[in-house]
Amino acid sequence: MSGIGPWLIALVALVAIWVDIPKHQIDLPFGCPGICLRIGERYFFQEIKTHLGLDLQGGTQLVLRLKTEELPAGVDTPLPTLNDQARGVIDRRINALGVSEPVIQSIGDDKILLELPGVADLQQAQEIATRQAFLEFKVPDEANPGQYQSMEPPLTGQNLKPTFVTFQGSGSTAPVVNFEFSSPDDQRWVDLSKQYVGKQTQILLDGREISSPTIREVFASGRGVIEGGFTTQSAKELSLLLNSGALPVPLEIVQSTRVEPTLGADSVQRSVVAGVVGILLVAIFMIGYYRLPGALAIVALAYYAILTYAAFRLIPVTLTLAGIAGFILSIGMAVDANVLTFERLKEELRTGKSLRAAVEEGRRRAFPSIWYSNLATILSAAILFYFGTGTVKGFALTLGIGVAISFFTAVLVTQLLLHLAIEVPALRRRALYGVEERAAAPVRPAPQAV
Amino acid sequence: MRAPAAQSTSLFHFVERKWLYFLLSGLFILPGAVFIVLGGLKPGIEFRGGTLLDARFEPVPATEGVRDVMASLGHGGAIVQRAEGGRLLIRTSEMQPAEIVAVEKAFNERFPGALREAPSSSVVSPSFSAELLTNAVRAVVFASVLIVLLIAFAFRSFGWSAFRYGAAAIVALLHDALVVLGTFAILGYFLNVEVDSLFVTAVLTIIGFSVHDTIVVFDRIRENMRLNAGEPLNPVINFSLMQTLARSIITSLTVLLTLLALYLFGGYSVRNFALALIVGIIAGTYSSIFNAAQVISLWQELDDAWRGRRKARRAAA
Repeated sequence: MSGIGPWLIALVALVAIWVDIPKHQIDLPFGCPGICLRIGERYFFQEIKTHLGLDLQGGTQLVLRLKTEELPAGVDTPLPTLNDQARGVIDRRINALGVSEPVIQSIGDDKILLELPGVADLQQAQEIATRQAFLEFKVPDEANPGQYQSMEPPLTGQNLKPTFVTFQGSGSTAPVVNFEFSSPDDQRWVDLSKQYVGKQTQILLDGREISSPTIREVFASGRGVIEGGFTTQSAKELSLLLNSGALPVPLEIVQSTRVEPTLGADSVQRSVVAGVVGILLVAIFMIGYYRLPGALAIVALAYYAILTYAAFRLIPVTLTLAGIAGFILSIGMAVDANVLTFERLKEELRTGKSLRAAVEEGRRRAFPSIWYSNLATILSAAILFYFGTGTVKGFALTLGIGVAISFFTAVLVTQLLLHLAIEVPALRRRALYGVEERAAAPVRPAPQAV
Repeated sequence: MRAPAAQSTSLFHFVERKWLYFLLSGLFILPGAVFIVLGGLKPGIEFRGGTLLDARFEPVPATEGVRDVMASLGHGGAIVQRAEGGRLLIRTSEMQPAEIVAVEKAFNERFPGALREAPSSSVVSPSFSAELLTNAVRAVVFASVLIVLLIAFAFRSFGWSAFRYGAAAIVALLHDALVVLGTFAILGYFLNVEVDSLFVTAVLTIIGFSVHDTIVVFDRIRENMRLNAGEPLNPVINFSLMQTLARSIITSLTVLLTLLALYLFGGYSVRNFALALIVGIIAGTYSSIFNAAQVISLWQELDDAWRGRRKARRAAA
């Protein structure tokens, strides 16, 4: 507990405070709002900010299930691949909409978690997530006039180049969606026009007819347009949907949550109040009961809070309501290691030991309890994290990180402060440690600490 | 100071009065257990499937009116509850997004200008809720098993009797979990308080905390047994409990202070969570002082009695 240790702890505190400051006004050589590293060819970029969960900033969250039972027969793509593909499609749809910081994660193989911060429209979110966007071109059924049939194999939107919207008709006012098949479907498209020239065909989206154009001439290329009586808006939506690709499997919503931003802001405010009141209550109690060591523990606790918040911003941990509850709870628990040490310290002092010896002995004897009890909490947090979803995961993560950091601050920082304090003559009065003055040990001549 | 046998007469009789403490625990657990059997634990929408709407009104309409609107949309069984800040909580069966929009529209028609913003909503389909429940149960079981192994490992120097400590910690842990479950069964039975995934989280946290407390006491017993080799067990336990008493109470107090702040200021969505933790931590503190070590003591007494009888039989033969 001498030499480089104190400086290291101070350095960590400074870095943590720097990370905690909301906006970095000082433009350090990094020149970016966070940590930027360049090692050879590899860039590492991490923006430092507090990530608020949906329940705190408002938005929509969906849990989607892949409806594998509705897969067409013969499709034997493995579930994880389907999940990847579906997430890719949803990701492209969201990107086109410009939602900031969306979350798209798989939960197991058959579910997808989708978070859309700031999106208040539940129906829009549902559209994004569950519209299959399966485009199919059907040709007249010769046997049943007026009916259409799939081609063999079906001609779908699978091999389409990016589509775009243009305007046609008198005065260029009717929006149409332009498409172009890529190989090999471009040749099939030309063949189709040869075979069915002068006849009516059908274009379906997710099984619903959106257009039934008559083929007027033989096409020369894989190009075509869909004119479905669109508005500019709906034409753009269709184009976007087609460009993002079709979902490989139908999805259903098994859980949806929408949080209004004001409810979220209210929660943040309440949590902050609860956290501040909690810390104050603990501080008053600790100083009242343990005197000087109690005050030192509060310094260590402040250190703990600063460090933990910095960890949340760096990792980054998305803060949810449950997560903040876990953090506040961990403040109470963080004090425990100090309590264990101080109770030991008092005991050792009462046996007549010198301050130095008592501090050292208190640390040594309290350590196994601190170690195993923290391990038990971290263990349950890890299990919660593994089995939990959403809320529970957030709580487990912040509690786990909190307890791990509190172990560090209680064992190292409090000890360091205690050791520093007992070297100050004015702070050596035993009453400051909550022990009767009369049992004072004689000052030992040996200069070395035990 | 480290002479337990000489000290024990002047100490609090933690071990000697163990049956009294066991009885007290029983008196707390029994009513809760009755209500658990009566189905007092009410699963929330997460574990049952359904919809929870959270709508802010100003002025707040009568709950009957809101229930009428829900009934007119085919949700006759909707439960409407008032919450702070002009909020109404409406619970009903699973709704599609279009239905939620329809509810919002109907509110605006029935109570013009009163709805402050589109209601927050949470919908869970019954199939998914079954999975969430399974996961929750699995987490509790898995956590308990791992924690027992951890205790057995921490006290491995005791040899086979390490499992006694493990078993005693489980008794304490079950005690705490039962007190919390019982309390919420009573609350659920009379006040319709529901059990959600946050509650399960609270129970798991309590289990972790309970073991945390118990380990500290057991660690002291271990240390004192080493320092007083050959002493009978009961005075050592008594002395150890006396030594850890201040720590047990103070740690719980600091945690309770933060939880109290959370309960009072954290808002209604975390209030039941904070309450579950408060009940659990009080129970956990009690069980670590008055139950866990007493189980070890009882075990030793039974063991001694059994050995004594065997010795007597052998002597007679």
